[in-house]
Order: sequence, then C-alpha cells, then structure tokens
Amino acid sequence: MIKKADILLFFIILAFGLAVSWWSLTENSAGEKAVVTVDGRLYGTYPLSEDQTVEIIQENGHHNDITIKDGQVSMTFSDCRNQICVASGAISQTKDTIVCLPNKVVVEIIGEKPGDVDIITGTSGPAGAAGAVGAVSSAEGGDADGAVS
Amino acid sequence: MAPSARNRAGNPGQSARRIALSAVLAALAMIFSYVETLIPVPVPVPGIKLGIANLVIVMAIYKLGFRYAFTINCVRIVISGLLFSGVFGMIYSFAGGVLSIAVMYLLKRTGWFSMIGVSMAGGVAHNLGQLITASLLVSSVRMMSYFSILLFSGLISGILVGIIASLIDRRLPNVTV
Repeated sequence: MIKKADILLFFIILAFGLAVSWWSLTENSAGEKAVVTVDGRLYGTYPLSEDQTVEIIQENGHHNDITIKDGQVSMTFSDCRNQICVASGAISQTKDTIVCLPNKVVVEIIGEKPGDVDIITGTSGPAGAAGAVGAVSSAEGGDADGAVS
Repeated sequence: MAPSARNRAGNPGQSARRIALSAVLAALAMIFSYVETLIPVPVPVPGIKLGIANLVIVMAIYKLGFRYAFTINCVRIVISGLLFSGVFGMIYSFAGGVLSIAVMYLLKRTGWFSMIGVSMAGGVAHNLGQLITASLLVSSVRMMSYFSILLFSGLISGILVGIIASLIDRRLPNVTV
C-alpha cells in the first residue's frame, strides 16, 4: 500500500518544514516597534515601550484596534468575520505577525535600527544585546507595498 | 454495470453516468466542507483544516480522472464558499484547491506514489497555495512565518486522507465508471 517514494517524499517535506521552522525560530529577538500596514501600505509605527490603544479605521469602514501593553501587541478588536486576528493573542518578538486577512491589516514587530542589514545577527543576538537584530525584517516591512498592487 | 463499449467519449450512457456521479461527489464534498466548519480548530491559525473534502477529490482523481476531479473541486469550492466561508474563503480555497489537484495529478501520473503519498503532497500543496494567495492579498512577505505550521498540518491531514482513501479504494476495486 505504501511505496518507497511515499516515505521518501514524506521525509523530504518533513526536513523542509523543520528547516523553515528552525530558521524562523532562531532569528527571533525582542522587538522594539509595531508596524501596522493596511493593504500593503504603511499605516503607522508605534513603540512597544509605550502602552496605548490604536484605532485603525479604514476608508471602507473596516475597523481594527491594536493594544500595546507591557511591550506586547495584541489585536483587541476587529470587525472582521472570523476573528482569527483577535484570537491570535499578543506578540512581542521580531518576525511575529498578527494578520487580519479580511480587513487586510498586518501588524509586524521590528527591531531598533531599520535599514541596517546585518547577516550575522541571526545567531548572535540574545534579546536586547544589539539593536541591529531584526534589521533584515524591518527593511522588508519598509517597502512592502509596490510588490503587489 | 460494466460498460460494453470502452470508448469513453463516444458512449452517451457512460458519459451521463460519469456526469451524474460527478454531481453526487460534488454534493458529498460540499457536505464534508460543511462538516468541517462544524469541527472547531484548536489553533488560531488561518487555513488549518482537516481537509476531509479532499477525500472526495482524491477518489475522483483515481476513479474519474483529472478533468472530472477538477470540475468537482471547482463546484465544491464555489458553492461551499457562497454558503459557509464567504468570498475571501473562496479565493483561498480556490488557490489551494487548484494547486493541490495539479500536484496530485502529476504525482499520480508518475506512478511512483501510492494514494497516501499523492494525498500527502496534495495536502501540503493545498496549504501552500492558500498561503501564497494570502501573502499576495495582504502584500506581506512575513506571512511566510505561518509556513511551517501550515506545512505540517497539511502533511498530517494529507496522510490521514490518503489512508482513508486507500482503505475505501480497496473496498470498491472493480467499479468502472
């Protein structure tokens, strides 16, 4: 019933998945700012050090609230149908995201120095050691629009 | 049951039987989609599903061929999208469904894989297609952080669907439609 090729394919997919999850886990570090993008456009950047609630109200009437508290961001309100974004909880590490697909709202965490790309940072930085950690991802976030209309 | 003429296109009775069977399978796939919405998902990650509707699609690929399976899948996605998950859900399902059915068909054609392997690749491809669509729609590369979670869930559900499909296949080996 099971052929050798099945098992081989299983291990290839498994190894690929493990590699990707290893990569995404090891490059995490404590973030500094929350970046909110709506439909690919930058909506605003908010420091995690400052407790606040931000209302994201779009021209088409969609409404999301994000709340920053104790260095963590969570989506506390959304008028979307599935409420997955609200259920996904609080984030604080670089590479963490909260995505509200129906409203096209993305909350991302970035490190301190945007645009300062350092290749070695992936393994070198424990939380708070150097601001350069997570710079790669912030560069990504900066020009997120333009790629897709 | 066995058709006297083996000419697939030329026999109107066989063609009618295949179309009727496709409609029944599409209805069955829709019921599975509905049952799926009733089962709560323990993880708050968009796109994680049991994928039991894919069971019908896997069976259709093996029993009816690619074109019928593709049509059944499209009908299933459009109708269950309108009924249960909304237009956005429909777009994701469509991307996942098309990619998954293409991958499954190609792997089946190679002849190297059993139903389990084909279905496993289909499950992973389904989630991958959904993820690609999601990252296009919200234009964020960071959506890929969901990738590993969706990959593993697709892998597991694909294997389960494949096991069930091959169990069913063994019990109806001689049905020719």
